[in-house]
Amino acid sequence: MLAVDDTPENLDVVKGILTPEYVVKVAINGPMALKIVEKQPPDLILLDIMMPGMNGYEVCSRLKSNPETSEIPVIFLTAMDQTSDEASGFELGAADYITKPVNPPILEARVKTHLALKVSMDELNKAYGIIKVQKDRMEDELNVGRDIQMSMLPLEFPAFPDRDELSVHALLKPAREVGGDFYDFFFVNEDEICLVVGDVSGKGVPAALFMAVTKTMIKTRAMDDRSPASIITRVNDEMSADNPSCMFVTLFVAICNVRTGEFRFTNAGHNPPYMKRASGALECLDQRHGPIIGAVEELAYKESKTTMLSGDTVFIFTDGVTEAMDTDSQLYSEHRLENILGMTKCSTVENLVNETLASVESFADGAEQADDITILAFCLNEDPEQSTRHQTQLVIDAELSEIEKVNQELDAFAKELEVPGSIIKKLKIAIDELVTNIISYGFDEGDDHSIELSFICSDEQLVVEIIDEGVPFNVFDAAKPDTTLSIEEREIGGLGVLLVNELIDEVAYQRRNNTNVVRLTMNLRNN
Amino acid sequence: MEIAVREASGVNILKFSGSLDTNTSQVAEIEVNNLLAAGHDKVLFNFEELDYISSSGLRVLLATAKKLKVSGGLMKVCSLNAVVQEVFDISGFAGILSLASNEEEALASF
Repeated sequence: MLAVDDTPENLDVVKGILTPEYVVKVAINGPMALKIVEKQPPDLILLDIMMPGMNGYEVCSRLKSNPETSEIPVIFLTAMDQTSDEASGFELGAADYITKPVNPPILEARVKTHLALKVSMDELNKAYGIIKVQKDRMEDELNVGRDIQMSMLPLEFPAFPDRDELSVHALLKPAREVGGDFYDFFFVNEDEICLVVGDVSGKGVPAALFMAVTKTMIKTRAMDDRSPASIITRVNDEMSADNPSCMFVTLFVAICNVRTGEFRFTNAGHNPPYMKRASGALECLDQRHGPIIGAVEELAYKESKTTMLSGDTVFIFTDGVTEAMDTDSQLYSEHRLENILGMTKCSTVENLVNETLASVESFADGAEQADDITILAFCLNEDPEQSTRHQTQLVIDAELSEIEKVNQELDAFAKELEVPGSIIKKLKIAIDELVTNIISYGFDEGDDHSIELSFICSDEQLVVEIIDEGVPFNVFDAAKPDTTLSIEEREIGGLGVLLVNELIDEVAYQRRNNTNVVRLTMNLRNN
Repeated sequence: MEIAVREASGVNILKFSGSLDTNTSQVAEIEVNNLLAAGHDKVLFNFEELDYISSSGLRVLLATAKKLKVSGGLMKVCSLNAVVQEVFDISGFAGILSLASNEEEALASF
């Protein structure tokens, strides 16, 4: 330590008290003290105030204003014993203030305390330095992860400016810590586009790398394999065979034929996307085809099929949307998403994506985004030049006698569009069966009810939707009758649903906004 | 739906036109039951002009077939169009009912 005093006797006293326990250097004036400090900074300085030339206050304030020396504790040692003197000493940043004549045990005790404090401070500062280095390194790593993630995504929109028949828009808003989301879309041939959205389970650089591998693998597979189920099955085999880090990824892969509207998809543990129909109806594509990717080897994933007509939009997203939290830790949830998707009359997919993100952000209200948010919307555009889509709707009372009205409307609709008679006959049978079912079992007694029917026709397909507000009931869950029994054994029950299933090319049931929706699709090309 | 009933070589021929569905099956059932009640036990359903049939129409056919089986009578169906034939195939009725491609063939087999 360093003792500074213009009176050598005083220095001798201090030295006498503190030696041999401490090494005590001495200075007899301010400038000399500063020079010693600069050469070899002591752990502690004992400083007299009243000195000719540069007084103790000034020495102290110079030490404190230099970052190199500002941390060295200074104890004023002086004969000035006014409270105001003491206060000005502390104001300058002094650690302590001892009045003369010096009481040896007090001086020793205070020196000891301040040296211990200094040691602790030094350790703290050292630890802080280590933490800062680590923190910087982690942030660098986060940036590396984010760079990998973002560099893998197609970010240029419009994505296919020369393809008027479709639009696609997507965005990924990364969380502070990389969450491993990704999306992709690419044509696998002239007519078929592949849409991919995934979410890797981990975070940081490992998640980003896993995401990059998965995305690359899907694209490679998709180029020589037109089945989402088969693509996902093969990717899963490769990912789970060699997965020491036990990372997983949820995946939704779809292949849409933009000419026919055929939309095949496989969902591997991912959030169910939505299909926003041109009619305004919102369907949840809630079929699941297997677990997350990377968990179990040699699984055969399945796939489902629906049809997109012009004006229909598919909306694929990750759980960063539905699990976004507000400041009270409430989740954004599916019902808010369904509301915004159902309400928004968006002119473009870009608007739909942006409005959804805006809704999530306004809900979060500044709460920190915990997970990546990814949204992809894909739409088959209506062709303004050659409108090939026809649609009509009717609402009937829930009475059997009303079925005739439906038949007449369907005849009129079909005649105009020259739909083959056999297709209309099959649809009439299906409508007869389904409407009869709804009227017989769907409603509680007493009230008046209605049933809504839509006919939608494109070049490729004729679709009939039957919508009722009856009790939730999926008619296609009914057990199949045994059609091999003899006349005596034969019961008639269940035949209607069997006929619908067999006569209609594609049947689907959905519970949609408190209604049962049955969708019957007849292909017009190969019938 | 309309049903024209006539008799030829001891067989009652019911010629259907239109559709046999929820709303028309009841009428058909009454018509058929009247015939059976009058003691006729040979019945031919001629579907030449029938557009389509739904499960309620099949129900009438099954009920009739069951009654005639008990009474020792005979029932045949002829002249199915492609969609009605498909419905018969799906439901298994093609296997349990006696089908003929036209009225002449059907009458000859009674």
